[in-house]
Amino acid sequence: MSDNGKEKEQITLTIDGQSVTVDKGTTVLEAAGQIGIHIPTFCWHPKLDSIGACRMCLVAVEKFPKPAVACATEVMPDMIVKTNTDDIVKARRGVLEFLLLNHPLDCPTCDKGGECDLQDNVFHFGIDKSRQTFTRHRVIDEDTHTTFDDKRIGPEVIRNMNRCVTCYKCVRFNKEIAGEYDLGAYERGNHTVIDAPPGEQIDNFYSGNVVEICPVGALTNTDWRYKVRNWVAKKADSVCSHDADGQNITLWYDQRQLWRTTSRRNDAVDEGWLCNIARYGYQYINSPDRLKQPLIKKEGKQVPASWDEAIDLIARRFKEIKEKKGSVCLAGLLGGNQSVETAYLFNKFFRNKLKTNNLDYRLEYIDLKGSDENESYNCLYRAQFKIADLEKADVVLVFASNFIKDHPSVNLRLRKAYRKFGTQVYTVNPVETKSADISIDEMVYAPDMETAFVAGMIHAIIDNKLYKNIDAAKASEIKSKLTPESLAEAARMCGIEENRFVALAKKLAEAKYPFILAGDYLMASTKRHRTANGLYNIANLLGIPDTNAAILASQANSLGADRVGVRPNLSPNLTKTLEEKWGEAVPESAGSNTSQIFKNILDEEIDAVFVLGANPAMRYPDGPFVNSALDKLDFLVVADLFETATSLKADVVLPLAGWSEQSGAFVNLEGRYQRFDKALPSGPGIKTGIDIINAIADAMELPLGLNTAELTKEAKDIVDGFVRIPRDVNKFFEVRQAQIPEHQEYPYRLMIGNDLHHFGYVTEHCPSLMRFTPEPYLEISPNLAERLGIENDTLVRVESTTGKLVLKAKLSEHFEGEVLFIPNNFAATEVNSLISREGGGWVKIEKLDDK
Amino acid sequence: MAQELVFFKYIDDPNQHKIDTYIEHGGYQAIQKVLKDFKPPDVIAKVKESGVRGRGGAGFPAGLKWSFVPQNTGKPIYLACNGDESEPGTCKDRVIMENDPHMLIEGIMICCYAINAHHAFIYIRGEFAFPAARVEGAVNEAYAKGYLGKNIFNSGFDLDVVVHTGGGAYICGEETALLSSLEGSRGNSRIRPPFPAVSGLYKCPTVINNVETLSSLPSIFNNGIEWYRSHGTEKSPGTKIFSLSGNVNKPGNYEVDLGTPLSYVINELGGGMQDGHKLKAIIPGGSSTPLLMPDQIDTPLDYESMAAAGSMLGSGAIIVIDERCCMVWALMKLINFYAHESCGRCTPCREGTAWLKQLINRIENGEGQQGDIELILDACDNIIGRTICPLGDAAVMPTRSFIKHFRDEFEYHIEHKTCKVKTDYPFV
Repeated sequence: MSDNGKEKEQITLTIDGQSVTVDKGTTVLEAAGQIGIHIPTFCWHPKLDSIGACRMCLVAVEKFPKPAVACATEVMPDMIVKTNTDDIVKARRGVLEFLLLNHPLDCPTCDKGGECDLQDNVFHFGIDKSRQTFTRHRVIDEDTHTTFDDKRIGPEVIRNMNRCVTCYKCVRFNKEIAGEYDLGAYERGNHTVIDAPPGEQIDNFYSGNVVEICPVGALTNTDWRYKVRNWVAKKADSVCSHDADGQNITLWYDQRQLWRTTSRRNDAVDEGWLCNIARYGYQYINSPDRLKQPLIKKEGKQVPASWDEAIDLIARRFKEIKEKKGSVCLAGLLGGNQSVETAYLFNKFFRNKLKTNNLDYRLEYIDLKGSDENESYNCLYRAQFKIADLEKADVVLVFASNFIKDHPSVNLRLRKAYRKFGTQVYTVNPVETKSADISIDEMVYAPDMETAFVAGMIHAIIDNKLYKNIDAAKASEIKSKLTPESLAEAARMCGIEENRFVALAKKLAEAKYPFILAGDYLMASTKRHRTANGLYNIANLLGIPDTNAAILASQANSLGADRVGVRPNLSPNLTKTLEEKWGEAVPESAGSNTSQIFKNILDEEIDAVFVLGANPAMRYPDGPFVNSALDKLDFLVVADLFETATSLKADVVLPLAGWSEQSGAFVNLEGRYQRFDKALPSGPGIKTGIDIINAIADAMELPLGLNTAELTKEAKDIVDGFVRIPRDVNKFFEVRQAQIPEHQEYPYRLMIGNDLHHFGYVTEHCPSLMRFTPEPYLEISPNLAERLGIENDTLVRVESTTGKLVLKAKLSEHFEGEVLFIPNNFAATEVNSLISREGGGWVKIEKLDDK
Repeated sequence: MAQELVFFKYIDDPNQHKIDTYIEHGGYQAIQKVLKDFKPPDVIAKVKESGVRGRGGAGFPAGLKWSFVPQNTGKPIYLACNGDESEPGTCKDRVIMENDPHMLIEGIMICCYAINAHHAFIYIRGEFAFPAARVEGAVNEAYAKGYLGKNIFNSGFDLDVVVHTGGGAYICGEETALLSSLEGSRGNSRIRPPFPAVSGLYKCPTVINNVETLSSLPSIFNNGIEWYRSHGTEKSPGTKIFSLSGNVNKPGNYEVDLGTPLSYVINELGGGMQDGHKLKAIIPGGSSTPLLMPDQIDTPLDYESMAAAGSMLGSGAIIVIDERCCMVWALMKLINFYAHESCGRCTPCREGTAWLKQLINRIENGEGQQGDIELILDACDNIIGRTICPLGDAAVMPTRSFIKHFRDEFEYHIEHKTCKVKTDYPFV
């Protein structure tokens, strides 16, 4: 386990005559760094195990028989280290000479030029003469006398072996951090080749990092390669605009476009590692398909219009509806990756100016009967979980989340905890996930059995008397409010043996600092409030710390929108804060959440909706319902970057600026407020969400009265002032597994969600991500595929009560049995047409004979 | 007095590799005695007292190595037996594994008992298909008799032995690379510390011993410390196998007491110089050791004397070179080997050995340039002592030694673009 928090033993040593006191376990290299002594390196990386391979960091240590590598030599008391003796300088110059022997010195055309460790070190050591008189060949195939050339070894990685200094950082990152094996070192000696395994390519979800950590130009990627010199590019501090982890990034751009993303290491969040979506997911901003001017529907067709025209029309119609039919007939839907400022202004506009509580940011999950206000769910959703705390965990249960997909940074932190601190991991999901390789037990429950599983866990805890802080009578009362009614029954329904529930329950009960983390499979469940009840009970029964039982938010600013109140119901505390800021009461009328808004449209109780940066027509997992509602709507305004399924239905379409085209902040899944700076401004004809809301409000003569600084401050104050109601340790809920709808004719459970390399509906506009997953597919288990005579790329018709689609099959070892998956990131494939609340996502499939 | 043999006592018995024959010859008595009469720390003490030193090349005292293993980490302790005999000229372990594998297994059992290991791995180089099959067969026989597995000889001691063959890389004979390879990774050496005794195989305490070292253990417990120390010298006790090759009349493996003069092995056992040719130089301890010159032929074969003579006992591979051999050519053969076998992990070895190879080949091929010798020596300075493992040193030591003793031949090559040694050499 981690000894974080414990007082560490201090050690004093001398480096180049300066005394320094550091923690025991610190390396000489790190100790030197603390007093400003730079020791050059190639293979060292602060987050990777040191292998002492490049020999650039050699230092002289008194009483050591020969020079030692500073990167891997731990400090010892009274050690005397010299980093700059003649012998050491000669050794380093020797290393550089060796590295340059066969280096092509093609710096003028190398993308790494200007940020290359080899250039910098050679510059520093002033090596200007070469004693190498042979032809420079980094590697020669001795049979064919050929040299290496550039090779694309993955969708986004191009390898130039001639430049490689064989530091193995790329291979080590893959293995140590990501747990991936799609890159390796082949051959031996100076014929060593960095390559993907034969017949494979490096396409793992974190593969972009190998390009960033390459100290030279051996690994480059296509988005940056040969496009712009790094010293002329401008940089903006930013934050990933997709998932909720909030990976810290630097955007590189010039006057033309954004060019690349690099990490901006934040040890609290990402430790300097980016997933491919954070790295390449900026590219949609550059897309030529961006909306560039407003559109107004005239005689059933959307035609270009001026901003004035569009804003006037919106203002007029909103006013009309508000005055004639009342505020309750207006509603606002905000995307989960709009900034905190936009979200706050959106809230103020709807609540304070339009006087309606009909607004929501949760547009991607079906919600029934107001369960979004479910106490247990909200308590866990707003838990103040901290990513870095995972390093202190002894046992972690990952429940209903494909961690790598949902939470790339949390996933890596969990892998680190496992690898470095021996954290024990259990995963419980409807399909097998990447986390299987670090899991003690990877349990796969039958579709829709989330609640049965947690009920089973509660049975296991109570049956084995593993509970804390309650008596037996209370325990039996809790047990009496469970469906299924016994562990045996839960085990049968989930398809997981009883002893595995018990083993997990015991591990969690014995743990000193356990975590239960739930993710997108839970959110996608229409019965998530029931499951949340169960998780709440488990956390209380086992005395799991309040911050450590959490349902993790899914979008870049989901929690930001939640904090500033983009939802129909507000906590008393937030109501009070807002009323103080606005100087008047918030509307008293009951508000509608996303599902209720659609329902109210169908019931003709809502007439106008303003959708800002969201695409429910494509993403809401009940296509027939949402589309019939939007079609019926009297007046729909959509502001977005692209033409979407939703914008096509709109009466007014407004071109929206992307996150990088403005400054702002996101609140990540930890509740961490992180600012991002404006990079390249948007083109003419495109406006930010803030400008759009202000323009409409002004045109309605309802000015919001906040300049940029005031808006930023007010939004931040509200985020900072968030007060969460902690978990009530004495509270226990009923946990009832819901009936699965009848579906005899439709035997397979279809799940929809993000592809590993896509997020939401904008990543289709990122060419790099499209290289990883270019088209939608039907993911199917090999055993089911075999039974139906389906192979990879076989065309399959998927049919539900509400729709049908034809897709290529993709066999997946992660899938077992009757579960299917289709990504909902591709506009052309309306996956949500297959899903309805009544049908519950059950489908049948049929192999098509020929194309 | 006739040489008393340990390893080769039953070398002429074609059935010695079979367990019944081994038992008939007194086999598996030592381990029974050890299990019955000794506590593990006493075994270590005994082995320390015997003075037996590692036969893999470094000559590190075996008992001392074992005593470095921490016993209270809660982690399993492993023994890795190094049978990756790859140093050019060396072929001693092979004979033991082929002819007397049970002696090795019994030695492994004694060691494992002493260090509290319950898993031992015998890592055998990939090219040794036959020796590996013999060892595997012997392990199976031992299991069948209940000598391996659970509760060995009713002592409560459990031991499993796994035979693992390498993929054919010299570097895997280096102990940390051996561990990497055994774990299923690329055979790359690792930095020390941590030393394997503390963090070795799967990051657990691990002892790595050579085949010959482990095989000497049964005789120590069968015959006693006094007997063992009656062989060899005070600081280098026991017998050792020397693999004699090169220009001698009778090349082969010879077991002699440590401290025996080199001349005795070459002239008496090896039958003297091939066809009466003149001795030019000797590589005394495997290809990486510095040369001995003809006037050093009486140097005793023990660790201290060899070091005093400026070389190393190493793995005991004696390569005899006569006057017909061009030393530039000989060094080229050696450096080609080391460049080929460099694992590629650390820069000086990976790039340096390849550069040395280019330079020395150029000289041998009559394309040498003025200054090449100085360049080679300077490159050597940038390799030796700068690498993770001794492979870099192993390439540098013969290079320096060959140039030191035969610089005139290198200079002649550069100046005249041809070889000074004009005779036909049988190995070219």
